[in-house]
Amino acid sequence: MSAASLSHALPGLARRRRPLWIALAGAAALVVVLVLGVAAGSVAVAPADTLGILGSRLLGLDLARTWSAAAETIVIELRLPRVLTAMVVGLGLAVAGATFQGLLRNPLADPYVLGTASGAALGAAIAVVLPVRAVVLEFGLLHGLAFAGALGAVLLVYRLSRVGGLAPLTSLLLTGYAVGSLLAAGLAMAMFVSGAGLRQIFAYLLGGFDAASWLRLATATPLILVASVAILARARALNGLLLGEEAAAHLGVDVRRERAIMLALASLATAAAVAVSGLIGFVGLVVPHVVRLLVGPNARLVLPLSALLGASLMVVADLAARLLGDIPVGVVTAVVGAPFFLAILRRARAGYEL
Amino acid sequence: MSSRLRLQLASLLVAVALGAAACSEVVPPASSEPPPPSPSSIVAPTADATPAAVTIVDDEGTTVVVPTRPERIVSLTPAATEILFAIGAGDRVVAKVDDITPYPPEADRLPIVATFEGVDVERIVGLEADLVIAGGLDFTPSDVVVQMRGLGIPVVVLYAAGVDDALRGIELIGEAAHEADAGRALAASMRAAIGELAGLVADAPRPRTFYEIDASNAIYTAPADSVYAEMLRLAGADPITTDASYVISLERLVAADPEVILLGDAAYGVTAEAVAARPGWSSMSAVAAGAIFAVDDVVITRPGPRLVDGLRALIAAIHPDVALPPG
Repeated sequence: MSAASLSHALPGLARRRRPLWIALAGAAALVVVLVLGVAAGSVAVAPADTLGILGSRLLGLDLARTWSAAAETIVIELRLPRVLTAMVVGLGLAVAGATFQGLLRNPLADPYVLGTASGAALGAAIAVVLPVRAVVLEFGLLHGLAFAGALGAVLLVYRLSRVGGLAPLTSLLLTGYAVGSLLAAGLAMAMFVSGAGLRQIFAYLLGGFDAASWLRLATATPLILVASVAILARARALNGLLLGEEAAAHLGVDVRRERAIMLALASLATAAAVAVSGLIGFVGLVVPHVVRLLVGPNARLVLPLSALLGASLMVVADLAARLLGDIPVGVVTAVVGAPFFLAILRRARAGYEL
Repeated sequence: MSSRLRLQLASLLVAVALGAAACSEVVPPASSEPPPPSPSSIVAPTADATPAAVTIVDDEGTTVVVPTRPERIVSLTPAATEILFAIGAGDRVVAKVDDITPYPPEADRLPIVATFEGVDVERIVGLEADLVIAGGLDFTPSDVVVQMRGLGIPVVVLYAAGVDDALRGIELIGEAAHEADAGRALAASMRAAIGELAGLVADAPRPRTFYEIDASNAIYTAPADSVYAEMLRLAGADPITTDASYVISLERLVAADPEVILLGDAAYGVTAEAVAARPGWSSMSAVAAGAIFAVDDVVITRPGPRLVDGLRALIAAIHPDVALPPG
């Protein structure tokens, strides 16, 4: 920032600082919900013990052991990976959602719009139907096929959308819809023949963090974080694309290349998220909108703040789901998110754009 | 690799979380005091556990080691609950799966840590379970089995596709619970009782029998290779079966013309009168002869100690003229 632009901005300083305050509030909220998420669960572990366990196991503090081995296992091996998985998945879905909405210039776009959800669901259903039970490093066939299905579906949509004379965006969206419908038919067929496996497929469709573990977290986190950071680094190109293809090209953005790269990155983050957590809706759709309503459409602000808010919302949703008797987390994300979203929409100024 | 990675990741994130928590009033005052020396808590219990270790291969082919005599057993299938109580290990069961027809009554006191919707692994860990009996074919979600094994809890997964499997499962649970003799004795007595009952009807004419699992929407009956069909054959019936979808069309059922209809769904309020009044059913021999009987689906299909009762009930319905030994 040069001195000239700073003095130019002085009258609007308060407004310009708003993103900073939101970021700080978001970070504080994330920390609070992480602590709450680790402290709460179906077994009561005293807050002092929770902090003691975290301090002794993770920070190496030499504390008196006032807790049982079971409490330690619950906090370290069950709750912590679960809360961190929710955080990372929420982050990834929110960033992917913001990216898809920007790339497709469509407010209804979400991380699942180009077939990732149907592809992952079909992959998971096939894994359930196949009479093969193999577990490699805590990853069953379900996770592998869900991941492959999500990426495969997007790749198929992208390839197919480039055939024919439609404008690229329209073509992508319509192809995504068509391929998604076809995959959904396959999913319905797999569910029909799944017999006793139907419950497992259904659980995947609802999504959740029940089965979170350190190994799964350590596998999904790099994929999601690397993809998200890479998207963040391309916020300028995303801003250009928001103005339209021609304008972006005039700004020096290689439209086709940037769009392909960001689609791939957002799909990678989505695929890694749905492979570990199943299909959790709403976060990827609503969080970017909420952020845009608060700070405007600049992708440099929208992407990082979406990451923060998405992470917090998912941890809160998982916590609420657990406290309400292990209801599906997707129900909570919708119940928590929809009224919040509506309230913000009502306060939105006219002319809200992506 | 994974443990170092996870520790780095975890310490990074939790350092952030704790740093902020330290500013709030969440931190307990006790942690500021120096920890009192407590030599008694450092001394490990005497390690004499090895002689009691039991190694078994469960129904999924997984080798499971139960290192000591389990004192805190969690039963994640209704059949396992019945078996554990039947072999005298009931007082060591600390939690069970939800069961719509709970049995035995002594198990009513147990907390429920699993339902159709899911398994509360946190509570199982909180109960310090040292043996978990789980159900195969994803009755207990395979993710949960992997998770519990990862936490060092021995998990035996059982799946009984037939009567022999069920008896073997009883022996396996006996071995895992360190009640091997009781398990073998129960299985042997059941095998003898089933053989005796089946022998009574082995040479009797075999009526064509339709076993109704559910008919509130589509009609569901036994697949040819199911435990239902096996029990019906043992009970001296010629079961009308279908494929693995469990669904049979009314047309096929009418063509098969059952001589006996057994209502496994009687517990849900289905009666012989209601069946006879169904459109299209009146032509069946069983309806004309009034050979429609309610049976208890649970004892017929649950692969536990009451299979003998189930077989006796089936024979009583299918061959009412055969005198049965007292149960």
